[in-house]
Amino acid sequence: MTERQKAWKYIFARYDLYLMLLLPLAWYAVFQYGPMYGLQIAFRDFNPAFGFLGSEWVGFENFERFFSSYYFGRLLWNTFLISVLSLLIAFPIPIVLALLINEIRNTTLKKTLQNVTYMPHFISVVVIVGMLDLFLNPDGGFINIILGSFGIEPIPFMEKPEWFKTLFISSNIWQSMGWQSIIYVASLAGIDPQLYEAAKMDGASRLQRIIHVSLPGIFPVIIIMLILDIGQFMNVGFEKILLMQNNLNLESSDVIQTFVYRNGILNGDYSYSAAIGLFNSLINFFLLILINRYARKKAETSLW
Amino acid sequence: MSKTFWHVLLFVLSMVVMTGCNGSKEVTDQVSEGPSETFNEEGFPIVDDEITLNIFSRKSPPNGAYEDMLMFQEYEKMTNVNIEWDDVPQDGFAERKNLEFSSGELPDVFYKSSISQLEAVKYGSSGILIPLEGLLEDHAPNITALFEEYPEIKSSITAPDGHIYALPAILTLNAARTDKIWINQTWLDHLGLEQPTTPEELVEVLTAFRDDDPNGNGKQDEIPLTFRNWSQLMNSMIGSWGMVDQMGNHLMVENDKIKFWMTSDRFKEYLQFLNKLYSENLLDRGVFTQEEAKFVGNMAAGNVGVFWNQTTDAFDKVKEHFEGISPIAGPYGDQLVPSSPVARDFGTFAITSENEYPHETIRWLDYFFGEEGSIFFRYGVEGETFTFGEDGLPEYTDDILNSDMGSGPAIGQFTPWPGGGAPQLVTEKNASAINPPKAQEAQSKLDPYLPEAIYGTPIFDEDTTKEVDQIRQDMDQYYEETTSKFITGDMNFDQWDEYVSTIENMGLDRLTEIYQEAYDLNYK
Repeated sequence: MTERQKAWKYIFARYDLYLMLLLPLAWYAVFQYGPMYGLQIAFRDFNPAFGFLGSEWVGFENFERFFSSYYFGRLLWNTFLISVLSLLIAFPIPIVLALLINEIRNTTLKKTLQNVTYMPHFISVVVIVGMLDLFLNPDGGFINIILGSFGIEPIPFMEKPEWFKTLFISSNIWQSMGWQSIIYVASLAGIDPQLYEAAKMDGASRLQRIIHVSLPGIFPVIIIMLILDIGQFMNVGFEKILLMQNNLNLESSDVIQTFVYRNGILNGDYSYSAAIGLFNSLINFFLLILINRYARKKAETSLW
Repeated sequence: MSKTFWHVLLFVLSMVVMTGCNGSKEVTDQVSEGPSETFNEEGFPIVDDEITLNIFSRKSPPNGAYEDMLMFQEYEKMTNVNIEWDDVPQDGFAERKNLEFSSGELPDVFYKSSISQLEAVKYGSSGILIPLEGLLEDHAPNITALFEEYPEIKSSITAPDGHIYALPAILTLNAARTDKIWINQTWLDHLGLEQPTTPEELVEVLTAFRDDDPNGNGKQDEIPLTFRNWSQLMNSMIGSWGMVDQMGNHLMVENDKIKFWMTSDRFKEYLQFLNKLYSENLLDRGVFTQEEAKFVGNMAAGNVGVFWNQTTDAFDKVKEHFEGISPIAGPYGDQLVPSSPVARDFGTFAITSENEYPHETIRWLDYFFGEEGSIFFRYGVEGETFTFGEDGLPEYTDDILNSDMGSGPAIGQFTPWPGGGAPQLVTEKNASAINPPKAQEAQSKLDPYLPEAIYGTPIFDEDTTKEVDQIRQDMDQYYEETTSKFITGDMNFDQWDEYVSTIENMGLDRLTEIYQEAYDLNYK
């Protein structure tokens, strides 16, 4: 019996399981890969009257238009900067929070802290931005009232480009740190207590136990989360940015996705926005592959 | 490459071909078919046997559900034309409209859908929207008569291929095309001040509003000057520096020559004036960030000094405190009032290739552009929603004018016109709601300063449209962003030259050339 025949026999023996597999495969084909043929409109001058295949083929014209746009540099820079800052600042905070929660022995306090920090996750983006508007308002927002009591002039936070990234990232942290820490708390709970006991016997301090037992214990999870995050690198929180945007802060708040929304969806310029979106996805795709390869080599943890 | 790879590739490609074929569409000439057999050329009903039209429309905040609107319900009985409405709320409307066009499942009619010039040309030339000029000639005496009376309407809505793909709202009443300037007369009287007539006097008045507690509550909570949004702010006083928008863009026509004024020295001076207002806290800081609802709330509360609004309905309860004034005379004595053209709101109505009854549809619409029909459209049913006053003009009933929800939304329950952008005719005879005595008086202060002609936005052929669109996407954004910064002081006027050269590099000369050609073609 050849290898192939063996394989077929093996499959045939469990044919019912393989039949079940057909369904998810069909789902992927129809809903995940099928729509990809629409990507070709990035290379066409799309007109719905002629459909995806009938519209005129323009090659890289849409890409060239984007690359030569006045805003190209700014869009790329803002997208990149918001992503990098989020990664550097917002990524480690849930880990620190999880380690902190893990160290708390008082169960009531622990539960309260966990609840309080993950609750904001459930507030909708629109409400969050509304709250920001309200709290940071130069006339009568409470942040400015507090600043005023120290003799500081009111700052129109939402109008200043230099404040945008700070506000965006810090409100993101506030909203999501509790939620994201859950997975770390869970994996910390999975660390063998004997390891802590042993470390204690060896005279390790609390901090040393965190550094030498807790952190290495959750390291694979951290790497996986990091890789997943990087796969979304260029997809910054689009809805929230759009809501926070105004003419005055556009300089630092305009990112590729909001540009796509304005030019593509609102103006009906589908081909142009498809081209920009494709460019965005390609960056994500290559970053994901790079970081995964790097993680596999260096940290011996990876997605595939 | 492995065999599996090629299998997968083959599969994906076959999917592409299969789905792709459904997407493409035959472009056919739908109008060649005649009207249905029971069609009546004149009078009502339009058809003896009931027909059904599927209409896609925008639902503005003051509008109720379209199918419940009294006016349309009555009209269905009159015409035998049954309408199935797809009324989409204003929020997210643009996305829905684009989806409607691209999904291939078209409605019969786009109604109050703000079809842009670009869309009209793109979808018209590719057969999604059908040409209307022949239909208008055959079945639309009212609209045709208006075209004859105001020839500029027809030229401003005709595409370069000679076809009309979309119809505008027609406003022959001046008051319907301007924003009046309202000043808080009670505050002026309280402070013993005169109505301002120059920029300096305006600053003086606003400063007094800011500092001298005109509402007498002991707090500095007055808003001296506010605007609906950035674009209203920009337009408000620009006429006093000798500029208004023509052809739907920031340009003036002088001796048949087009000149964009975004880079002119006068415009710089205007920005410097606005910057002064902003930096001295005379201008509501919320203008750049606030939602429109807040502006409307401020008007209604009446704690504002000066603002621009078309009519008094938004501040009915405090309107006694306000008076309309003439535009201030700028440093060079200019006093122009920006206004929209007679054919306002391009693209309020378009018929798609899906429509089996284009003849009936045009007759259905044309009634609203006649005297009787336009009153019916805007006022509903006599005795129920309106009565004729002593002067023979229609007036809404007191129930509606004093409705708890406000007169705008109350009217919006039985007719779609509140919220704007509907295919309609607005004249002196049917505009008591937007033109009450108070607004008429304010309008009379503006009338002497209206420009001689206001040219509508031209329609270019498809390639030019695309070029204009590409230039303007970048330029408009830069213009909006940079002027905002000049006003707030985030950008210093030292950087003016940089601003000018950036605008020029984005293709200002090319844009001027294109608009000049369009002007020569349409208006000369």
